[in-house]
Amino acid sequence: MGMERVQCSYHSQDEAFKIGKETYRGQQYSQIYFARLHLMRTLLYSIVPHWKPNFPVCTVLGLEEGKECVIVGTLYKHMKLKPCILDEYSKERSVVPLVKPHNFMHPDDHLVLEDESGRVKLSGNPISPSEYVTGNVVALLGKESGTGDFLVLEVLDAGLPPQIEFPIKSREDKYVVLVSGLSVGSSNSNPLQFQLLIDHITGHLGDEKEQSIASQIAHVVFAGNSVEIPRRLLNGQNLASKDLSKMAESIKELDILLSQIAASLPLDIMPGPSDPSNFSLPQQPLHTCLFPGSSAYNTFRSCTNPHCFELDNVRFLGTSGQNIDDLEKYSDAKDKLEFMERTLRWRHVAPTAPNTLGCYPYTDRDPFFIESCPHVYFVGNQDKFETRVLKGSEGQLVRLICVPKFCESGVAVMLNLRDLECYTLSFGTQFSS
Amino acid sequence: MKKNGSRKRAPPPSQPPPAKHPSMTQEEEFMDEDVFLDETLLSADEESLILRDIEQRQALATRLSKWTRPPLDADYVVQSRSVVFQQLEIDYVIGESHKELLPNSSGPAAVIRIFGVTKEGHSVCCNVHGFEPYFYVCCPPGMGPDDISRFHQTLEGRMREANRNSNVGKFVRRIEMVQRRSIMYYQQSNSQPFLKIVVALPTMVASCRGILDRGIQLDGLGMKSFLTYESNVLFALRFMIDCNIVGGNWIEVPAGKYNKTARSLSYCQLEFDCLYSELISHPPEGEYSKMAPFRILSFDIECAGRKGHFPEPTHDPVIQIANLVTLQGEDQPLIRNVMTLKSCSPIVGVDVMSFDTEREVLLAWRDFIREVDPDIIIGYNICKFDLPYLIERAANLKIAEFPILGRIRNSRVRVKDTTFSSRQYGTRESKEVTVEGRVQFDLLQVMQRDYKLSSYSLNSVSAHFLSEQKEDVHHSIISDLQNGNAETRRRLAVYCLKDAYLPQRLLDKLMFIYNYVEMARVTGVPISFLLSRGQSIKVLSQLLRKARQKNLVLPNVKQAGSEQGTFEGATVLEARAGFYEKPIATLDFASLYPSIMMAYNLCYCTLVTPEDARKLNIPPESVNRTPSGETFVKSNLQKGILPEILEELLTARKRAKADLKEAKDPLEKAVLDGRQLALKISANSVYGFTGATIGQLPCLEISSSVTSYGRQMIEHTKKLVEDKFTTLNGYEHNAEVIYGDTDSVMVQFGVSAVEEAMNLGREAAEYISGTFTKPIKLEFEKVYYPYLLISKKRYAGLFWTKPDNFDKMDTKGIETVRRDNCLLVKNLVNDCLHKILIDRDIPGAVQYVKTAISDLLMNRMDLSLLVITKGLTKTGDDYEVKAAHVELAERMRKRDAATAPNVGDRVPYVIVKAAKGAKAYERSEDPIYVLENNIPIDPQYYLENQISKPILRIFEPILKNASKELLHGSHTRSISISTPSNSGILKFAKKQLTCIGCKALLSNGHHTLCSHCKGREAELYCKTVAQVSDLEMLFGRLWTQCQECQGSLHQDVLCTSRDCPIFYRRKKAQKDMAEARSQLDRWNF
Repeated sequence: MGMERVQCSYHSQDEAFKIGKETYRGQQYSQIYFARLHLMRTLLYSIVPHWKPNFPVCTVLGLEEGKECVIVGTLYKHMKLKPCILDEYSKERSVVPLVKPHNFMHPDDHLVLEDESGRVKLSGNPISPSEYVTGNVVALLGKESGTGDFLVLEVLDAGLPPQIEFPIKSREDKYVVLVSGLSVGSSNSNPLQFQLLIDHITGHLGDEKEQSIASQIAHVVFAGNSVEIPRRLLNGQNLASKDLSKMAESIKELDILLSQIAASLPLDIMPGPSDPSNFSLPQQPLHTCLFPGSSAYNTFRSCTNPHCFELDNVRFLGTSGQNIDDLEKYSDAKDKLEFMERTLRWRHVAPTAPNTLGCYPYTDRDPFFIESCPHVYFVGNQDKFETRVLKGSEGQLVRLICVPKFCESGVAVMLNLRDLECYTLSFGTQFSS
Repeated sequence: MKKNGSRKRAPPPSQPPPAKHPSMTQEEEFMDEDVFLDETLLSADEESLILRDIEQRQALATRLSKWTRPPLDADYVVQSRSVVFQQLEIDYVIGESHKELLPNSSGPAAVIRIFGVTKEGHSVCCNVHGFEPYFYVCCPPGMGPDDISRFHQTLEGRMREANRNSNVGKFVRRIEMVQRRSIMYYQQSNSQPFLKIVVALPTMVASCRGILDRGIQLDGLGMKSFLTYESNVLFALRFMIDCNIVGGNWIEVPAGKYNKTARSLSYCQLEFDCLYSELISHPPEGEYSKMAPFRILSFDIECAGRKGHFPEPTHDPVIQIANLVTLQGEDQPLIRNVMTLKSCSPIVGVDVMSFDTEREVLLAWRDFIREVDPDIIIGYNICKFDLPYLIERAANLKIAEFPILGRIRNSRVRVKDTTFSSRQYGTRESKEVTVEGRVQFDLLQVMQRDYKLSSYSLNSVSAHFLSEQKEDVHHSIISDLQNGNAETRRRLAVYCLKDAYLPQRLLDKLMFIYNYVEMARVTGVPISFLLSRGQSIKVLSQLLRKARQKNLVLPNVKQAGSEQGTFEGATVLEARAGFYEKPIATLDFASLYPSIMMAYNLCYCTLVTPEDARKLNIPPESVNRTPSGETFVKSNLQKGILPEILEELLTARKRAKADLKEAKDPLEKAVLDGRQLALKISANSVYGFTGATIGQLPCLEISSSVTSYGRQMIEHTKKLVEDKFTTLNGYEHNAEVIYGDTDSVMVQFGVSAVEEAMNLGREAAEYISGTFTKPIKLEFEKVYYPYLLISKKRYAGLFWTKPDNFDKMDTKGIETVRRDNCLLVKNLVNDCLHKILIDRDIPGAVQYVKTAISDLLMNRMDLSLLVITKGLTKTGDDYEVKAAHVELAERMRKRDAATAPNVGDRVPYVIVKAAKGAKAYERSEDPIYVLENNIPIDPQYYLENQISKPILRIFEPILKNASKELLHGSHTRSISISTPSNSGILKFAKKQLTCIGCKALLSNGHHTLCSHCKGREAELYCKTVAQVSDLEMLFGRLWTQCQECQGSLHQDVLCTSRDCPIFYRRKKAQKDMAEARSQLDRWNF
């Protein structure tokens, strides 16, 4: 029964997200904002003449009352409910237990536009505080009103980045499996479920038909939260060796399971918030010392989060979910896909970093800027599977995918590289009526 | 027209700039100070110089003119309309007496000036003529009308002797015989003859009083000394009292009753003369309770200090002045501008005015003040710093024409040093800057008066009230920013503007204008008195007003000092310390002291002296003997004035509260709320007035009677509660009074449901109230459950006013706000109370303390929690005892003079480990230095000197062996001390890598782990990476917060606010982060 597994060419684009020798030398976050503004402004300035050819372009300082003009700057959203670290120190401890709201928006929130020269408060309907977040760079058409506000008449986002051409359609079906949130070691992870997934991918399950599908799987991506490290145990306290070894056990378990996959096909593993990796974005690849078994295979690749790569010239961009989850806390949209769409239109994977999303204090660049539009954009650790194709004004086509948490849903996502269609593989072992 | 165009510049005026004559103004001693109009005015020469100057700055002038007040209507111009205005400031000057209005007088006379604003927003200066200073003496028996004229002559002669260099024609204008009565002691006769002595100028009251006090030789009567009456009333206040004017009310001057001044002396739009008898004073009711649209100026200055010195006007230039002008009642400022020395990039919504010289900056500001014509000037520490600095700086630069900031044309602002001392507020040195016609309202002073805070820096006050942090730029950086370019100066300007903006926000948020105007209205004193003077003048003003209605006069008793002895204060019932897990009902006396004074008719005029008690034969049923042994007549014989004042205050408060409920308009609500608050405070300060031994009219018989009644009432309540609520009387449990404070009694009824306790509380309050003389009333308000009673005046509990849910956690006398405790103590105490009271988790609280102590000993404590701060008030040599913060400041100066703390700064420090026997003050160290050099802190010091007392206090009522359990348990056994990186020996040590797992030295070839730990690679890596992860999270949150506070994303954070709770943390996070990363890097070989 010799069935050949399909193969793909693979190019990692993670270099930009590797921190390497960069260290903390007392730099602050102003530099990354500055780098972002610079990058985005150059871009926006090139679009503005087509967008509003008849209006002058001003800086915040150059505004004159009543004169209509275009300005470009970084948005800052003033939020009443935004949790503040100062409160943890200075305020009287609140008697009412803090309920963690999943969203910190308030009707009084307002936006401010800032460039190196100054900031101005924004008003007017076209720009909605519920849609934008601190860190977006936009171009605005409007005028300074008498009260010192800038009345916005129209907003311009950078729009979808240019896309490399989609490879000419082959007749061959090749699948990529996207999984996230295995959470090995957590209370709701189910080892059987995971084993079923592995058996399916590796072709140890089902009849010939099913095996033939399995043989068309060319690549697996684990989009974050593969293990769950009890973070509570780690907070600065010295751990008992018992706890330490318990933690190591789940990693060992994961290693054993992953090596089964790595033995038969390439896999990418991305770090997520609960993995033993750093906290700030970009999260650095999980250390190979954690995976003595699977890392022996050259098919095993430990990657960054965000993760960017090409498979047979199809460009992928994915994160383990933090960027979208954070947007959901500080802004509003009809679904997760809309948040994803916005990040593409803003050309920025993580606009809320560094403000509310931890991020390395870069001094000279902003690696989250999306230079080239991916064909597939996925986000891990979401509540449910969602997908849609986004069409750009210049013919860009992007497959957006929310990958659900596997430990809760038992669902993995199959994506066909031929036509970017996707469907789910469900390994739920418990069904509710 | 340049008249003096060809002439050389006139030399600077010979007259020295505003003389600083230090004078002691004790709060309790009121002294008038005559100011002669022409003394303060510039000469004509100087004036033309200034005029020329103004012409030169035409360009600026047009810019400024945008902001002038609305122009006058025609009927104002032709004087066909009554002028109705709200007055804010009343003072007087000495000028020539008005020939038309007062044809019969001549020579110098006091002219009252009332400054105010009409409802259209016009500024008014009303010169009131004809009001004369006077006081009373008791007419000696046997003195007839003839004797009076001889008395007059003698007094005039003595006055002339005493004031030899005065050119006043007649010192004592006239002496009239009037019928009055002294307020002191119950008297059966209605009145007796008094002499009203009218003098020429207000200061003569004091000098005349001195002569009469010491004694005067009278024909036929011999040497006689007189007790004077009402000779300590400030002239302006005297005028207000006699004309029924209260602070901040509306005054009307009918058309035809005023004359426009011949030569206007002020910059006010409406300036006129009138007679004092023509003024109509409107009580603040209905239409007249509103506020005029005053102009409020909030400003802040920046000075470029030299490195290592606090800015001094003799050296350091004023580089920026930020201004914000707001019309009272509007929420957006009218004007926002900043004046800068050297260029400054524009700021949105702000008028930036840049100048090349400091002289131009200062003069621009002066012109700005004149054009905008603010009624109230606010700011933070402006009285002690900004205003005097500007004036002294201008004097240094020899800009004689600068200090014309008041409303009087060409009149220089006067600066003097004052010492304000009051029992309540302590002694404070201050500077008094007189800006004629404008009220100064320094928010720092207000904060210090009205709120107990752990820090009064603008930063921490704003954080507290506005939840707004402000960036704090260290004054050593200010010069660097100034010396940079237009952009860096803009940065500074933004900072300066924020400092001008925050006081205005505080003013709005805390409703100070409403509250202070209402306080002025209720007590009848000018608004400026409320800040510059103590409590007693407010009561005095009310007392004088009431006494005047009753034909009573107040004696000016010699200040008795503290010799009169003290009386027993409000003792409290002994506290039965413990942790009460059943509801404790609290019975409160509503306004206890005022009620006692009313109920027992306690007053100066109802007090019967012991001799009189024997002599006068008053029927016993008409007097009350107080528990302290004094006798007061009941109201059927003589109604007391104090009870009457109190009654009016409390009725007015009730009315204000009722109106407040009805009111819909938010501005009207603000007024009413301010009023009811002012009324409450006023009612409570009456008792204090009678007890102030160095006060205006102390009467310890009254105050000791009040407290003795108070004590009796508490005892009585305790007895009644414990007698009635017993099982014998059919109640479920025996009630027990566990504690009683000045005006409240805590009762444990024994029931375990809050609702039942509330019902019993209500029942008890009603029952006991019935046994008291009206209006003394016991009220039930709240239940504490659970309740931790530590000792008297120290307790904590959950506060319930409704049965289903508690309102808050209430603590009293527990270390939560004291400044010289480190944050750790505050947090520890708070969290423990939280755990004990709210979570009801005593073992949890114990564990929490143990963990904290163990963290401290194991060197895991966040340094910012250990920082102690103290203000450096003088230099090291001036301190008699060595103090930790002073020694440290001295040491820091040796390290780097530029960043060392100066006098006036707060010095933060931590206590570090040092050689055995080192004194505590030698062990203080700069937290930043400690962080940078890994200097070990001294956990033992923190354990013993900071934590142990407050913690034991809380736990002693709860735990049996609190001290042993908490401070000496097994958790205190392991100690870890960090190795300093700056100590001598380590510099020579060779660094050798150790195993991350077991700290064993690594042999060559190994970088991370020893061969023994190799198998635990994964788990040890997880541990390292988790530390990095935690630090990253912290780093991100801390630094983005600072970015947010400073209000700019694209610029580096410069803030050095050591008051900020995350200042050290942020620094530490940066350092720890770098270290943790390098640890992590060891895995990548």
